[in-house]
Amino acid sequence: MSSALVSMLISRKLGIHSSRSAKKRILYNVLLVTLVVASLVFAQLFVVSMSNGIANKYALLGNGHLQVHEKPGTTIPTHPEIVDVQLVAQTFSLVYSPSKNLMVRLKGVESSYFNEERKQALTFLDPPLDANGSTLPQVLLSTTLANLLGVGQGDRIALMMINNTSLRPQLCIVGNLYDSGYKELDENLMFCDISLMEKLFSTKADTYYEILVANNAIRPVRQFLEGEGLSVTSWDQENYAVATNLETSRQAVLGVMIVVAILCGYFISELSRELIEDDKNRIALLKLLGASNALVRSVYFSTVMIVTLISILLGTALGILLGLNLGSMLSWLALRSIPALSFYLLDFPVTIPLLDIAKIVLVLVLVSALSVVWSIRRVRKIPLLQSTRFD
Amino acid sequence: MMKSNEVLSLQGVGKSFPATARGGEPIEILDSINLSLFSATSVAITGKSGSGKSTMLQISAGLLSPQRGKVLFSGQDLTALGDDKLSTIRSRSMGFIFQSSLLLDDFTALENVAVPAMIAGIPQRVAKKRAKKLLESVGLGDRLDHKSDQLSGGERQRVAIARALVNDPLILFADEPTGSLDERNAELIENMLFAMVAEKEVALMLITHNKAFALRCDRVYNLHNRSLEVVQ
Repeated sequence: MSSALVSMLISRKLGIHSSRSAKKRILYNVLLVTLVVASLVFAQLFVVSMSNGIANKYALLGNGHLQVHEKPGTTIPTHPEIVDVQLVAQTFSLVYSPSKNLMVRLKGVESSYFNEERKQALTFLDPPLDANGSTLPQVLLSTTLANLLGVGQGDRIALMMINNTSLRPQLCIVGNLYDSGYKELDENLMFCDISLMEKLFSTKADTYYEILVANNAIRPVRQFLEGEGLSVTSWDQENYAVATNLETSRQAVLGVMIVVAILCGYFISELSRELIEDDKNRIALLKLLGASNALVRSVYFSTVMIVTLISILLGTALGILLGLNLGSMLSWLALRSIPALSFYLLDFPVTIPLLDIAKIVLVLVLVSALSVVWSIRRVRKIPLLQSTRFD
Repeated sequence: MMKSNEVLSLQGVGKSFPATARGGEPIEILDSINLSLFSATSVAITGKSGSGKSTMLQISAGLLSPQRGKVLFSGQDLTALGDDKLSTIRSRSMGFIFQSSLLLDDFTALENVAVPAMIAGIPQRVAKKRAKKLLESVGLGDRLDHKSDQLSGGERQRVAIARALVNDPLILFADEPTGSLDERNAELIENMLFAMVAEKEVALMLITHNKAFALRCDRVYNLHNRSLEVVQ
């Protein structure tokens, strides 16, 4: 088989040195596949980034990446990937405002809890109240919870204290408001000083260490801590329903993407079918001149696969480019306060899910290759005498 | 048995087609056709339209299979060969010229002539060199880079002749090669064809309505009532 001839025929099919209509047709197909692939990549990037963003919020504000369930005063061994260790006390409590009462998750934290990493995951809406301005203990509420309770900064709320012997309310003042951007988490999370927790709830509060790790090194750090004889859980165990939902959503979306990729493969096979159908006379002429079916098939296979690969590369690049600009688009949406989006996280760092993108691309390439192989079988059926039917 | 310089031998060839696409009583086109063609000789097949001339050429070139008989090409029975083997024989040993020049319209004249050589596995550089030489010999040395739509009907047919000869075939099949040309161009092509046959010592099977053109061949047959009648 002459590779030079195959290259020559492919370059003509691709529109190089060819007519304007041939170039237009190829460009149209490249554009179509590029847009489909870009949409797939963008959608996957959006879903994965949002899932990671939600998981990150839960890890940073909810429970930490890892939790060490040991008594206060336990020494947590150092590890290069451990970036923060905080002693935390938490309980569930009824909170009363002048107009409403709600069950909330109350976390007692030390003043160092809101480090730079955590501060990046939320926005404090007001400067905090002067600590000396009131004798009442201060609590930190989310804007979502404050709206539900109908209170604002400086307002008073009551926490129902439960200890071994009694049940009584404790008046507190809303010291500040925060917004993590994720209402599901915000609507029942409240912070106070850990000393208040010890005072109000004593043994009823669950005390543990929250650990933040770097570089997604949850598993090795957990193994290290367990190796040191500590009792450790991870954020996904503590928030099992959320973690499972996120993973299921991610897998479901990836599944849908793969189905769309298969449909895209079908479209690509249609492209090869059209090319062959339009070129029946040319194919018959080449066969008349002695070209084997294999040579003709290789030309059409290569042409369609080159178009597919170029489109996939362009689509992937475009999808990633759009994804990287997702932040500004979401910020714009967040500012609009669209009710339909109120339960979505609109502020998260964009991560490129290379493995998922690779899966989509691989499925596209495989499906395209198989469908093209299937559709170019028809080359064999084109009669040699087709070319002489011009007469 | 084939004689030493016998290129093509049709032995008792018969062909019929169904009367309609859905079948029906078959229509007999050719019956017990016997014909031998030797290198450096030419044979013309004449006959009325629909008499089966083109069908006979297509069977001779292995483009169609007969229902009966054998088609021996250089001693090989074409009716017993598979697609790939037939492709190889067509590529290396046969040349085709049709009424319509059948050029690849997005290829230049040079590329059109080089394509069969490249199909036969000849390196591109050599194929183009050979194509250039042939195009010069048919008077198209200044038209090498012209595409099909930039050539006149006569020029396109000359490109087709050059293309048919690029692999030094044993036989040329020409089906009404001057059918769509004006008188002057037709004569030019006729002269060129016979000159090439003599020069390259190729066998020529010519299908034509043109009596004068046919009579320039060594032998002339008229296809009538499914059989060949000797004219010359």
